[in-house]
Amino acid sequence: MTQGPGASRPRPFPHKRVAEFLLRAEGLTKVYPDGTVALSGVDLTVRPGEVLGLLGENGAGKTTLTKILSGLLPPTAGRILTPRGPVRFHSPKDALRIGIGMVHQHFALVDTFTALENVALGLGRVNFSLLRKKLERLVAETGLRVPLDVPVENLAVGERQRVEILKVLARDVKLLILDEPTSVLTPVETAELFKFLRNLREQGKAVVFITHKLKEALAVTDRIVVLRRGKVAGEVSTKETTAKELARLMIGVEVEPGRRPVELSLEAEFSRAAAPGPKGEPILMVKDLQVRSDTGELAVRGLSFELYPGEILGIAGVEGNGQTELVEAICGLRRVEAGEVELLGRKVTGRPPTELYRLGLAHIPEDRWKYGLILSFTVTENSILGLQRERDFQAAGFLRARAIRGHAARLVREFGIQTAGLSAPAKSLSGGNQQKLIAGRELSKDPKVIIAAQPTRGLDIGAAQFIRELLFRLREEGRAILLVSADLDEVLALSDRVAFMYEGTFTGIVRPAELTAEAVGLLMGGVKAGKG
Amino acid sequence: MSWAYFWSLFSISLHAMVPITLTAVGEVIGESAGLFNIGLEGILLLSAFTGTLGARAGGPILGLLMGLVTGLGIGLVFGVICAYWKGSQMIAGVGINLFALGFVAFGLQVLGSPGFYTVPRDVQLAPIRTSVGSFSPLIPVALLLPFLIHWFLNHTGVGLRIKAVGENPEAADVAGIPVELTQLLSTAVGAALAGLAGAYMSVSWLGSVTKEISAGRGFIALATVVFSGLRPLLALAGGLIFGFFESLATWIQSLPGVKEAVPWQFISMIPYVATLLVVAGVIGRVRFPKALGVPYRRE
Repeated sequence: MTQGPGASRPRPFPHKRVAEFLLRAEGLTKVYPDGTVALSGVDLTVRPGEVLGLLGENGAGKTTLTKILSGLLPPTAGRILTPRGPVRFHSPKDALRIGIGMVHQHFALVDTFTALENVALGLGRVNFSLLRKKLERLVAETGLRVPLDVPVENLAVGERQRVEILKVLARDVKLLILDEPTSVLTPVETAELFKFLRNLREQGKAVVFITHKLKEALAVTDRIVVLRRGKVAGEVSTKETTAKELARLMIGVEVEPGRRPVELSLEAEFSRAAAPGPKGEPILMVKDLQVRSDTGELAVRGLSFELYPGEILGIAGVEGNGQTELVEAICGLRRVEAGEVELLGRKVTGRPPTELYRLGLAHIPEDRWKYGLILSFTVTENSILGLQRERDFQAAGFLRARAIRGHAARLVREFGIQTAGLSAPAKSLSGGNQQKLIAGRELSKDPKVIIAAQPTRGLDIGAAQFIRELLFRLREEGRAILLVSADLDEVLALSDRVAFMYEGTFTGIVRPAELTAEAVGLLMGGVKAGKG
Repeated sequence: MSWAYFWSLFSISLHAMVPITLTAVGEVIGESAGLFNIGLEGILLLSAFTGTLGARAGGPILGLLMGLVTGLGIGLVFGVICAYWKGSQMIAGVGINLFALGFVAFGLQVLGSPGFYTVPRDVQLAPIRTSVGSFSPLIPVALLLPFLIHWFLNHTGVGLRIKAVGENPEAADVAGIPVELTQLLSTAVGAALAGLAGAYMSVSWLGSVTKEISAGRGFIALATVVFSGLRPLLALAGGLIFGFFESLATWIQSLPGVKEAVPWQFISMIPYVATLLVVAGVIGRVRFPKALGVPYRRE
């Protein structure tokens, strides 16, 4: 299974015969200026007419590898071969010239430009009317329907992704690299994307599909290369492998059944130990809440719910349906247009965050770089952000350095935060450790209500599992948790009740066990549930 | 008020409009690509001086060209520092301004006239004479150029790429657009226009150089760019507003009794204060390129 360095591997594949390979990477190594070894000696072959899955945890080197293949980064060592010989990319332009195009996880779109203008970028001399015809033909061929004349910032995320794909296809690529393309899509959009990918394969093009989701890798690829810590951990044919084998390659150890990552429990296993159910008085009440987004539109439209002690209420839904605004309004970070928020029986609508936190509210923010941490501050400094006014940490306007360091050290110990030291800047931590730091800090407030927005986004399986178990533990302790996540599997697996959010309202609040896959799709797509 | 007097006020308006407009529309190009040049003031000053040298050596056209080339040269240096070396745009701009102050003061001394040098009449740019009066040939240029640049930025592929670089350099990079080169050329062209504006002041409009000739116009141009939200036609409007108030100040100064009552320095302030007020007051939700002022680095 494991791939030998650069050797040709005779192996039957149904769609080839055109050429032995489209692109081959040999011994790719990347060492970043700060000494991080992102890749060491990676070999990879891409053949025409195949969908190659590139699987790995966060930090396994997937993104670095694709950045090198698409010309965005130069490798420290190793070479890239095409059937015509070795090539050297100085910029993405060089890669595009030989037919390699990349669709990034974070879209490389100019927000203020229309789809047409975004596609026109980099095409050299552009004749807009000709380009429009070409695009309309491409849209018809591929089914990637998008409005061409609306600034992309007004498009839904799925549509933006299509623009991104069209941008690359318009340049007649032979190899399309997709970096975690499904992380922002609804199940329906994902299915459409997969259909489109199979379509591309039929046309003899190659696709490199990057993901950390086993289910997707198994669903759409022909062959899977697993990366672990910058090395190829294995290469398998999709038909001959199982989720278990992939997980083992990815993580390096056999995953115990008892501690299966939520990811693996996909086989509709929503039958977690029956939840105790709402008991006592609601601890957080939201009544007819209306909140505006940055652009002034109503993002939350008259939403009501109650959160009880000892439960996890999950909010599922495609991002951009008002979840962010809802969380910010509850946490006192955004103006409430109408309606009320009650915390522990007190009206707290529009009260400042400090007061809410004193009452017992903690917030694990969605954007941890923007709202969770000050990246250039040290671990110690970050450990008391928001707590700096506390007597424990401050006396007569001076910070009490020893007490603060003690506090930080305790968090590092209790939450297993891996850091070079208490004085290391927060940006030097990995995403998972940053999140642990935030979680630890917020929990040191001893909160009664925890608002966790996208708490595991971008974390590797280990760190994500840690956070999920933490949420469970907090629930057992009788705290109330509002979990907002775009990861459907996560919400379904963790929540006692799940609310589906669509265009600012809930289409329904249900118990996960009562859900079928079809119902989930309908609720996410805006169809109201029969009962609330 | 006689017709001739009215014309002279109108003429002052238009002449005062030129340097602001040229400098501002130039900066619109540079800022569209994401580089913010606060060294415009210095470029105006330097090129006013080098324009004079050029005119002395080979006539007014060479003078204007010298100004243009001076601006271009400074723009290239600024662009290399900021686009390629990722230097601080703020510091590089301040550097230009300080360099200009020292260099021009020194240069005027070398010319043998510390602080003030009159450009000989025969090498000044000849005005266009009409039946109502005469005006500088650069006035129609300054009136037309904003329209040209508006068209260039909004309706050509190159313009699209310039804006893409300023808005989202990573997207531009991925699309195969050379980010640094685009920034370098955009800011250099912008600076060249500021250079032309500087030479215009000495060789065409005022007919002299002082070490205060730029008189804050570079900064007013920057304010105008902010007010315009990077729309060249609004930058022209900003230039016209400044020109109008400059002639208004001239008119107020000429009123009987005013000179005795108010020191002239206060009246000279009018166009600056008025322009800043208008620019600050009108400003609404202007949207700037997201990457303006931020050096682009590939991860």
